[in-house]
Amino acid sequence: MAKRFKKAMTVLFAFTMMLFAFMPMHVKAEEERCVVYVNPPKDWSDPFLWAWDEEGNNAFASWPGGEMEIDSANEGWYYIWIPSWADHMIVSAGEGVQTGELIKEDGNVWVTIADMENAELSNEALTEGEIPAYVEKFKIHVSLPESWESPAFTWGEPKDGEDAGKALRMGEDGWYTGNVPVAAGSIMIIGSAEGQKTEAIAIDPAEVWITVAEDGSFDFTYNDPNAIEAPDISVSVSVPKDWETPCLWAWSAPDGTNVFTSWPGEAFAEGEDGWLTLQVPGWINSIIINANEGNVQTTDISVETGKDVWIVVSGPEEYEVSYEAVQIQETGEEAKETVAQEEAEGADEAATEAPMQAEEEVKSGTNAGVIAVIVIICIIIVGLAVFFAKKKKK
Amino acid sequence: MKKIIASFLSIAMLMGLLCGCGAGGQALTEEEKNTIVIWHDKEEAVAEALLAELKKSVPDVDVRLEHKSNLTEALKMVGNDPKAAPDLYFFAHDKIGVYAEMGILTPITELIAKEELENAYVGMTLDAATYKGEIYQLPVYFETLLFMYNRLYMAKERVPATTEELYTYMSEKTHGGHYGFVEQHSTAYYSAGWIHGFGGYIMDAEGDVGLNKPETIEALMYHKKFVELMPGESEYSTVNTLFQEGKAHATIGGPWLVSASRAAGMDLGIAPMPVIDETGLPISPYMGVQGVQVLKYAAENKREAVVKVLNGLMQPEVGVSLAKVSGCAPAVEACYEKEEVTSDDVVMAMRQTAENTIPMPNRPEMDIMWTVAADMLVNINMSGQDVEESCKAAQKSAEDLIRKMQ
Repeated sequence: MAKRFKKAMTVLFAFTMMLFAFMPMHVKAEEERCVVYVNPPKDWSDPFLWAWDEEGNNAFASWPGGEMEIDSANEGWYYIWIPSWADHMIVSAGEGVQTGELIKEDGNVWVTIADMENAELSNEALTEGEIPAYVEKFKIHVSLPESWESPAFTWGEPKDGEDAGKALRMGEDGWYTGNVPVAAGSIMIIGSAEGQKTEAIAIDPAEVWITVAEDGSFDFTYNDPNAIEAPDISVSVSVPKDWETPCLWAWSAPDGTNVFTSWPGEAFAEGEDGWLTLQVPGWINSIIINANEGNVQTTDISVETGKDVWIVVSGPEEYEVSYEAVQIQETGEEAKETVAQEEAEGADEAATEAPMQAEEEVKSGTNAGVIAVIVIICIIIVGLAVFFAKKKKK
Repeated sequence: MKKIIASFLSIAMLMGLLCGCGAGGQALTEEEKNTIVIWHDKEEAVAEALLAELKKSVPDVDVRLEHKSNLTEALKMVGNDPKAAPDLYFFAHDKIGVYAEMGILTPITELIAKEELENAYVGMTLDAATYKGEIYQLPVYFETLLFMYNRLYMAKERVPATTEELYTYMSEKTHGGHYGFVEQHSTAYYSAGWIHGFGGYIMDAEGDVGLNKPETIEALMYHKKFVELMPGESEYSTVNTLFQEGKAHATIGGPWLVSASRAAGMDLGIAPMPVIDETGLPISPYMGVQGVQVLKYAAENKREAVVKVLNGLMQPEVGVSLAKVSGCAPAVEACYEKEEVTSDDVVMAMRQTAENTIPMPNRPEMDIMWTVAADMLVNINMSGQDVEESCKAAQKSAEDLIRKMQ
């Protein structure tokens, strides 16, 4: 029975995760919030709350959601502030430990959890004293040397006796995490051994990844270093004959990270089957092909990240992108067709917005033609008349 | 035989005369005289607001708005053809020179007294509307670039009053994929603010090219240290996305960025342009004025209706309504006595910034200057070429192209 239940829970968990993956996260500035208090079983440590609404808007960016805070004034109770519109909830505490779907009414709620299947919701306060105020927080990820045990963090100006700080939690990816108030300004990472402490690290209130070395020195980035790195790709191009020394300019949009330090980028090398080729990092998604020392160039060309790409350029705004190797000549013909088609499509807007103009042009063209025909006929008739008149005289 | 020839010639001449008669030659009916077609390229909300206000202020004129996304090109093609051209068009002031030189525009002062215009409008807007001494546009609203910052990152006391304060801030905060400040550093429209702040210019109102002026060169040399702390790629979408996604603390951007940033949940701050330490002048961006221009045929043949529409557009309610939907500042001075305008921080910031703005040149040669200046900025900021040499080469290139144009 227990085995069957565990299996059911695993399926439910997987289903829940899949469902959440397709739901958008809803962000709204200065929205109304309510507090959710949870009193979980004693063997549930570090609970998280996942919350959403009927329309599938999520209150948090990713599972398991928001980390709940201990209310030191009410033993056994954890709390978290969520947007008022989020009325569906799941409380979890590690893999496979979670409640079913809990649906709350408007306002603050107190949840007493007996076990994974049984939880009671109350709109009446079950805790004493004032509810701690809402504090907006952001997530920090910290990578530490193994010797830094039981790490913690503090923020703002360190006060005497507060060095212990707030514990960092080890995540599945090997990074410790913690939530810092947006008003913190700076944080300090602390290890359990003597002298294991960084200087105050001034950071923006935004999700950040901090790497700390043995000696306490550090570096940080706001870009997830664990994001899957795309391997290098090759960009192969064919350009018009008068495009000399073609170069590649490549970057990642919208962050604007360039591959090359200065325009016009790097020159292509001779590749196979008449292609010009260059290897670039797989994270690029935008390129410009240029030549003649950057004096002729294509418009911005969007390409798919992480894929080898073949591009036949017929002109600054005429090109065909392919993700499979093709014969240059064939592609050239296709390119013309594709570009012609694209131009026709692109012209749709202009055509739609200027139908009257086009009509007028056609009309005026027809008028001009009629006038020309009439004038020619008249000249011929006059010519013939003069000819016959002269002939008659003779 | 002579009779036959004479008959043929008479018929031919008559047909020729008839063919030559278009709408331009025919007398307009009363209904046609009272119908005013206005071309525009604005978003639907602006067009709707304009039409609604005109219906209120000139109910007896049949005003028709027609959206043209390629308005400038369409006007070049049919501006002289009364059958195809509009009566008025609603567009930025910077193309006035092109159409004035084509001879298709009527000076507004032939329809509304100059004194009346001078009393009604924010002075700079009429300067922008003037080409070779004639006012060709009735201004409606204007826009300038603004210094914007994300209050989550930039505390009020750190908002830079000077460019050196901005540089210190950028040096401190540009790290790990976040930027202290970003702008479209290699786009002429944006760089112009720095150039003007040094007393330089891209092209002045008289058509003089100023790329090799010592002040322009000095401005671009000074600007370069700021560019080094910005992302290499600086086109429109990169800069706006960095700011809106919270990866940049501050930017210089247009009013169109305000609603998008606020919709993204940003606590947006707007501040005066930093003063350049070297000159004591603020960064002074271009000002663009949106308004209506009157085509000659309409002024000559539909004068009464055109004057009514122009007078309608001069009502403060029109300016307020259009400014609200466009996010720009009204051109009619009386609008600034209305609470709905004075309570709008963006509009008021633009009104304040406008004191130090330069109207975008409205000369036809400016079309050349945008491209030449952009190439020069790419050479300086992205290719690392020498500033002075790049400026001198660009000056020569611009002068050559303008000579060919003439």
